[in-house]
Amino acid sequence: MNNLLDLLISTLTQGLVYALLSYGVYITYKILDFPDLTVDGSFPLGAAVTAVMMTSGFNAWLTLPASLLAGALAGLITGIIHVRFKVRDLLAGIITMTALFSINLQIAGSNLIVDRNTATIFTSPVVEKILGSTSLITRKLVVSLIIVLLAKVVLDLYFKTKSGLLLRAVGDNSVLVTSLAKDKGTVKIIGLVISNALVALSGSIVCHEQRAFSSTMGTGQVVFGLATVIIGATLFQKFDIIKGTTAALIGSIAYKAVMQLAISLGLPANLLKLITAVLFLAILIFGNYQKKNAGRIIQKGSSHA
Amino acid sequence: MKKILAVLTAATLILTAAGCAGQDKTKKIGISQFGEHASLDNCREGFLQGLQDAGLKENEDYTVSYQNAGFDTAIATQIAQNFSANNVDLMCAIATPSATAAYAAAEDKDIPVIFTAITDPVEAKLDSGNVTGTSDKLPVEAQLELIRTMQPDAETIGILYTTSEPNSVSAIAEYEQKAPDYGFTIEALGVTSQSEVTLALDSLIAKDVDCFSNLTDNNVVGVLSSVLEKTNEANIPVYGSEVEQVKIGCVAAAGIDYFKLGQQTGQMAAKILKGEAKASDMDYETISEYSIYINSDSAAELGIDVPAAIADKAIEAADA
Repeated sequence: MNNLLDLLISTLTQGLVYALLSYGVYITYKILDFPDLTVDGSFPLGAAVTAVMMTSGFNAWLTLPASLLAGALAGLITGIIHVRFKVRDLLAGIITMTALFSINLQIAGSNLIVDRNTATIFTSPVVEKILGSTSLITRKLVVSLIIVLLAKVVLDLYFKTKSGLLLRAVGDNSVLVTSLAKDKGTVKIIGLVISNALVALSGSIVCHEQRAFSSTMGTGQVVFGLATVIIGATLFQKFDIIKGTTAALIGSIAYKAVMQLAISLGLPANLLKLITAVLFLAILIFGNYQKKNAGRIIQKGSSHA
Repeated sequence: MKKILAVLTAATLILTAAGCAGQDKTKKIGISQFGEHASLDNCREGFLQGLQDAGLKENEDYTVSYQNAGFDTAIATQIAQNFSANNVDLMCAIATPSATAAYAAAEDKDIPVIFTAITDPVEAKLDSGNVTGTSDKLPVEAQLELIRTMQPDAETIGILYTTSEPNSVSAIAEYEQKAPDYGFTIEALGVTSQSEVTLALDSLIAKDVDCFSNLTDNNVVGVLSSVLEKTNEANIPVYGSEVEQVKIGCVAAAGIDYFKLGQQTGQMAAKILKGEAKASDMDYETISEYSIYINSDSAAELGIDVPAAIADKAIEAADA
């Protein structure tokens, strides 16, 4: 039964590591109603910064704030392009994402590998001291769990602050924000900064986990993020108390679990994505069916999905 | 949600139970291939042949579980973790992203990883540790010599490549370094995605290159047919880097045979499975042999007379 346990741990870890990206997409897509394509660039950006720092001998933990900062900068750029230069939201993201592809290659040189002798956040002395002789996959699980929960708590607290409430107001009712004499553009920029910082952090941790940066690792991450946010929201629409961040977290884990299930079932390799798409469709239909059964009326009117 | 979890758990339990039922002596091999494309498929088939060449029998001595990631690094990661969780005795990784993922997933249990179709194992940090395999480095000098013999008057060689593919970048460096020895200058043009290949191609054709040399660049190889359509129209020969490219219309190639490369890898894997050697003690191998492939149809179409020196030793790759 060890096999199963290992598989569950690994899959859970994947879900957690990518959940940070889902938080980011949750902020832009669900809260700001901003389809932000910067993600495909800011995710590998975090990995590029991390890989370069690791290979040049920086402490593994320093890569986390550095990636956060780099991602924040990427979000800032998209924000400024959109808000100050009045470029449409999709296009603003595309511009930054495209630029980041080159920038990432400039930062990392080319695809970059961190060798096994370099300590990652999972094998750093601190972690070894605390977790002792546990297996590496357990350490990966524990460390990513702590980071992801920490990020969640901080985010949830932030949403309750004045700035956080304004952020949520911009997406729902931007007129209200203006009537409060607040600049909704600035609020949007703040949202993009936080979102992309989280996405880059996710990229950084994936880089620690894989010991590798590849310039194409960002491709399709936006789609992944959107899928997880929507799956999470669908699964939990009956439960009003569940926070958006929790839903995104579960969405991410569910996505990775479905992928792993498809792999484990030994489904024909070329059909993997098609089967995944069918499974997701099933989840979404199941969710809608549940909603109808409960006889609930969608009150929020124009749902984003 | 509980229902879904229950279904997931049940499904995994059944799978694991099925996995446990195998005999103890049979070794489990997990093959993780980055995506489906002719050269990589040849590698895999060669690998399986190599195991049999070494006297191992499928289902008796070993079982194979094959997965491909559809060129998605995140899936490659999950495939490798699946193999690790199922305690395979050996992971075979085809192409660099799958190899990095396999090596990362194998770190914990120290499962031996054997790779193939990696140009530069040193660059990929796969040259030490419980990992070994074969490299598919291009025989650049042989290719330059081939082009010189086929086109004695040619001066410039155009090369299209993807800037984010390390294999291509290192090949370009070698081309630029060695081209002057054969009296060539290289006009290399980098692209970042497949959609830019055609644009870059137009730009190189406009520069009047005498011929093109094609690498094993995934992006460019993916649209090679349409590249050939244009170059044929412009009457510029394209040289390939392996047999599959010559089959679809490149004039000639000095290239390695991916099936043979896989075969060599399979034989190395057999040594590890039999306990004769450890991956950590084995150096990675480069295929030293290369073959000259030729497509007479393409050559005739472009009006190139194939010199006897080449025609004699070349393998015909055009459809019979």
